[in-house]
Amino acid sequence: MRPPDATPNEMPGIPFPGRPGGEHDEPLLDMLFGVRVLPPDAPPEMHDLARALAALAGPADPSELAGEAAALAAFTRYASPAGLSPRSPAPGPARHRRPAGRRTVRRARLATALLGAAAMIVSIAAAYTGALPEPIQQVAHLTINAPPPAVSHPAPKQREHDQSSPAARPGSQPAPPAQPAVSASGAAAGSTTGSAPTMPGSTGHLACGPGPWQPQSLPPVLRSALPKVTCPPSATPTPTAKATAKPSPTPSPSKSALATAKATPGWSG
Amino acid sequence: MIGAAFGSVLAGAQRGDETAFVRLFRDVQPALLRYLRVITSDAEDVAGDTWASVVPGLRGFRGDEEAFRAWLFTIARHRAADAGRSRNRRPAIPVDPNETVLTEAAGQPAAPDTAEVALESIATRRALALVAGLPPDQAEIIMLRVVAGLDPGDVGRIVGKSPGAVRVTAHRALRRLAEMAQRAGVTQ
Repeated sequence: MRPPDATPNEMPGIPFPGRPGGEHDEPLLDMLFGVRVLPPDAPPEMHDLARALAALAGPADPSELAGEAAALAAFTRYASPAGLSPRSPAPGPARHRRPAGRRTVRRARLATALLGAAAMIVSIAAAYTGALPEPIQQVAHLTINAPPPAVSHPAPKQREHDQSSPAARPGSQPAPPAQPAVSASGAAAGSTTGSAPTMPGSTGHLACGPGPWQPQSLPPVLRSALPKVTCPPSATPTPTAKATAKPSPTPSPSKSALATAKATPGWSG
Repeated sequence: MIGAAFGSVLAGAQRGDETAFVRLFRDVQPALLRYLRVITSDAEDVAGDTWASVVPGLRGFRGDEEAFRAWLFTIARHRAADAGRSRNRRPAIPVDPNETVLTEAAGQPAAPDTAEVALESIATRRALALVAGLPPDQAEIIMLRVVAGLDPGDVGRIVGKSPGAVRVTAHRALRRLAEMAQRAGVTQ
């Protein structure tokens, strides 16, 4: 509704330009916001209003500064080296602090990623040392060129030594075998015969003994990775001639035992 | 307001100078508390929350004194809204509009400065009581314009209105205040 449609008396709550106290007083009202001195001819109510507004913005009461200690404590906390940092947020009126929950989620994700990376590294290391279970080791062999899995049989009764045994190292004095079976690790065989290829980190073993297992039963891929071992005539093949990846305290065979094993016919590997 | 020295005071506070921070606090806190007393019933707690939010972002702030005040009062308004106190409950300002200086009423002389401070304090509280009698949107705009010293643009950004709407609302509030002050004789 435009001003000509109604008189100020008809709509007293709406200021019209011609109405006393309407837009004519706006310069005075604007002056009040600056707490400036009103002209002497200003209406008395305006002078009262000016005094009220001046009181509104009056000097501080001591009770109004009661929160100073708490604010200063917060400031001191943040002013420490770990506190007020250049990366602190809220550079302007429209910015707000990032909720702490987001930072927690970020940290959790980072920790998960680090754990995953660590687990992957450990798994790869285990794959190259041949310490993984057979199916997984086979997958690792095919995918990342890790050593092939060691062939194992259920319920092994004897365990042979591995490369960590002092006897497996060239030049060391092997201890006498504690078992009648004859075994040869890839490394030991390589050191004695120079014919058995060994994969880096391979810990596979073969043991002579009774049983149905023969190296020919292995897949060609695995068979080629095994050392060629022959069992001595006197040595009864163990029922669980096997290749194992686990370290064993069992001493390695002596050189003579290995030589005897090589002379035994029937082990073609 | 601090005025021309604001830049150096702010820089000092941003470097961790406690004296500079105290100066900032003492300059803004009375206006902040009075503003919060008009829009919330728990002004002291909300003021504390406001400073707790201002301090971490102090170093990153860039701007002049008016921008600093606008930033601080924006935070204060948000904290009051967060607390859920600004909308549902009207502020409780324990001021009797007819309150007088007790020492004068009892006929006991007081030290001139003490009496002056008391008079000013009473006048401030009575003026606050008057403003609290305005409609909430008018009261808030009056406090931001008069007490916080913000221009209509900053006030509009804080309360979500255009500068023109802020100006119209402020004028309407002042006319109403003038009538109330005349009736109550606030400054007498």
